Amino acid sequence: MDKQLELLQGTLDMLILKAVSLSPLHGYGILLRIQQISKDRLEIQQGSLYPALYRLEHQGWIASEWGESENNRRAKYYRLTAAGRRRLKTELHNWKRMSDVIAGILRTTPEEV
Amino acid sequence: MNLWSRIRSWSRALLRRSRTETDMDAELRSHLESRAEDLIRIGVPRAEALRRARLEFGGLERVKEECRKSRGVTFVESLLQDLRFGLRMLRKSPGFTTVAVLTLALGIGANTAIFSLIDAVMLRMLPVQNPERLVQIRFKSLLSQDPMSSLTNPIWEQVRDHQDVFSGVFAWSPRTFDLADGGEENDINGIYASGDYFTVLGVRPAAGRLLTTSDDVRGCSGVAVLGYGSWQSRYAGAQSAIGSSIRLNGHYFPIVGVSQRGFSGTDVGRPFDVAIPICAAAILGRSLDMRDAWWLSMIGRLKPGANISQAQARMKVLSAPLFGAVVPQDWSAKSQDIFRKNTFLLNPASTGVFGGIRQQYGQPLKILMLVVGLVLLIACANIASLLLARSAARKKEIVLRLSLGASRARLIRQVLTESILLSAIGAILGVFFARWGSALLVRFVSTNQGQVFLNLKTDARVLAFTIAIAVLCGVLFGVLPALRSTRFEAISAMKEGSAQTAGGRAHSASARWIVAAQVALSLILLIGAGLFIRTFTNLMTLNAGFDPNNVLLTEMNVHSAGLSDPALASLYGQMLAKLQALPGVVSASQCLLYPLSSGDEWNFEVSVPGYKPPNGVEPLVYLNWVTPGYFSTMRTPLLEGRVFAARDSANSTPVVVINQLLANTYFPGQNPIGKHIQIGGPEIGDKPLEIIGVVQNAKRDSLDQDFLSAAYVPLAQIHSLREDTTFEIRTATTPGALIPAVRDAMASVNKSASLGFSTLKQLADDSVLQEHLMAVLSGFFGGLALLLTAIGLYGVMAYVVTLRTHEIGIRMALGAQKGSILRLVMREAAIVLAAGVAAGLLGSMWITRLARQLLFGLTPDDPSTLAFAVAALVAVALAATYIPARRAMRVDPMVALRYE
Repeated sequence: MDKQLELLQGTLDMLILKAVSLSPLHGYGILLRIQQISKDRLEIQQGSLYPALYRLEHQGWIASEWGESENNRRAKYYRLTAAGRRRLKTELHNWKRMSDVIAGILRTTPEEV
Repeated sequence: MNLWSRIRSWSRALLRRSRTETDMDAELRSHLESRAEDLIRIGVPRAEALRRARLEFGGLERVKEECRKSRGVTFVESLLQDLRFGLRMLRKSPGFTTVAVLTLALGIGANTAIFSLIDAVMLRMLPVQNPERLVQIRFKSLLSQDPMSSLTNPIWEQVRDHQDVFSGVFAWSPRTFDLADGGEENDINGIYASGDYFTVLGVRPAAGRLLTTSDDVRGCSGVAVLGYGSWQSRYAGAQSAIGSSIRLNGHYFPIVGVSQRGFSGTDVGRPFDVAIPICAAAILGRSLDMRDAWWLSMIGRLKPGANISQAQARMKVLSAPLFGAVVPQDWSAKSQDIFRKNTFLLNPASTGVFGGIRQQYGQPLKILMLVVGLVLLIACANIASLLLARSAARKKEIVLRLSLGASRARLIRQVLTESILLSAIGAILGVFFARWGSALLVRFVSTNQGQVFLNLKTDARVLAFTIAIAVLCGVLFGVLPALRSTRFEAISAMKEGSAQTAGGRAHSASARWIVAAQVALSLILLIGAGLFIRTFTNLMTLNAGFDPNNVLLTEMNVHSAGLSDPALASLYGQMLAKLQALPGVVSASQCLLYPLSSGDEWNFEVSVPGYKPPNGVEPLVYLNWVTPGYFSTMRTPLLEGRVFAARDSANSTPVVVINQLLANTYFPGQNPIGKHIQIGGPEIGDKPLEIIGVVQNAKRDSLDQDFLSAAYVPLAQIHSLREDTTFEIRTATTPGALIPAVRDAMASVNKSASLGFSTLKQLADDSVLQEHLMAVLSGFFGGLALLLTAIGLYGVMAYVVTLRTHEIGIRMALGAQKGSILRLVMREAAIVLAAGVAAGLLGSMWITRLARQLLFGLTPDDPSTLAFAVAALVAVALAATYIPARRAMRVDPMVALRYE
């Protein structure tokens, strides 16, 4: 198996928003889900997860509520807010544009310059 | 998440503080445990699983620190930060803070005081059941513009028995009763109340029972209900009061109960001590069948579901039959016709009825509210200027904060928080000042005859008002400095450190606008003060037609002693003789109505055979019965003919003395002496009266009312004497000193007569109390406004001089004289003054119109008052400008040129 890719800077926020958009999750659940849908190809620093969650909450894109987890433990669930949904769409759009531009630059052959 | 849990989590988020720490801890711990559990599930031993989970996570404390940083600060937390910072800033400049807080305390306190008076007098609902369903029943007569509040007992009985519009009606009349047993009066505030009074209002007894309809039938023996306050103060709240008797005007009434705590009657400002049924008036000497004695007020409670316009329509229809049934039989046909056309008029009575203190002080209070509002604006302007200057001094700090990434909105919010904090502290002090001030005002307007009692507790409405104006003030004087100090042009300019830049000039421009506004507002207040002060002095110096000094008035009532007319006449004669013989008495006389006695509307139709007065003149004359010595005692000058003498007795020709107004109206251009005049009324008889003298006009009800047509008839020629009369005694020294001697003299003739003492000077002063109040208060606030404006003007001029020091130095170095420098500075001030005065004059023309009804002897646009106010303002303003101007003159060019 290939070595896990390191997260690009600034993309953790996007991934969290995406993960939560599918259904409300607690912190550990978000971690698991990102790993799951990336098919374990991404390396995520656990220590940077919670600061990112709190920052996103402060900015109003996710909202939290205490609830009960699957194994009857008290856990804080995060869900996407309406503003967060809009933000995700914008981020997605920007990401596609950025990746197109970068890919275009990297594909340039000596002749095209 | 449903709405409720969303609100809960939102409010929790808003208020989270220490809970967040435990929350965060719990969350992270739960994460670690979940990870450990997953590891255990795939076979890792427990201790190893925990260790691995923790390693993967990274340092727990470090993560917690990162979390705390990224969480940010909540709105409430940042607000608290602002408050703490604001307090620190205020503490750092104690001088400014003290001045600002005191100014605000005075301004906000004055506003709160006046508002709490307005609340107590005009806005507070009666503490009864559903006060909004109560309506007052007045009537409109063709004779006057304003509706009349008082009705006769026959009309009341008609309404009570035949109305179908209200679920209940009641009537009442305030009356002062005498508790004493002869001798000097011991007055108690009472009301005559109909049987339904308490029931319709929905008032409950605090002890015993209240009046019922069976207590109020013709021929009753009467019972009494005490007011709660009176029960506490006179009977110490003892149960034994119920069942005991109370002696009113010589008659005993059993006390059957006490009314509910907190209810003090339906007359604002006049709580009742005792209530007796209307039928008891017959016992106390008042006829219940008089169709032209207007003494009762009425209130009805609307039926559920009915509204006031429906009730009004129905009452209008009922007016003709109800009034028609009780037309006074002894009136002329024309008057009877007018009476029949009276119509009932309804108006809401949830806050009590229109009359009494509300009528007297309603308009003045509203004007005072405007006055103190303007003073507060001027004070806020001063504080705004101070804050502007301070923010200029804090520019370095602001530049630093902006460059460190603070948003402009955040900075503005911080400055506003500081301002509101300032005004909040001022408001708290102001509330205490307001309680003291409003109590003082109530004491000021309480006279001997009419004590005013208002419950001045700070209720929710007053508190809300205070908070609202505190916040408003804070925003008002904070917003300009906040906006100005954070503007980028100002900031980049300020970075140069020089005061003589665009920033400085912009600052002085806004400061000048502020001062111009202050000048305008001050001028309006000064003009108002001038108008009220002159109104008061006009009243105090007018010729009232009598000399009020050193006159002792003794009201005497023999209280249904059942004396016949000759016996009464003899009694009066004896009393008068005794009084005239007392040492220290210059002269004494007797009359039915003394001047300024306000209350009795005792007028009669007058006619002169063969003469018809011009249209628009009411054929009414106001009558008085007097003894011969009356005019000399009152010092009312005799203009023609003679006054009464001993020869004008019951057997001689009926004579009359008229006043100048009556003479001019009915005998224009002629000498009325010897002519005859007909005055209707059974006491006088139907024969025409011969005019023997003309006296000067004398004020009757109060000093600010016009003179009325008056006629005087000798006491000896009156057919049926009344049991109450008044003796006037002109004394050589202080009237009060003679009271014991008069008391003894009266007692030696009739021990059971009750006596009430007052001085004519006291009455004259009391009759202009409202004008006195307005003069004092408007003068005080006008002076205050002037002082604040002078301070503001001084501040701005000082700043302008500082701004232009460099320029002044150059001018002086180039040879300018001191005089031209002075002119330079004064010109700056003159521009501001001129703008302010112009705006002020314009504004005053519009605003002083509101006070038109309160003025006497002058109009709101009185030119001499305007001129004087402008002159005073300009003089003070120039004085305030002179000091910085002198400083400009003394500038040393060498120092100025080096100054930056």
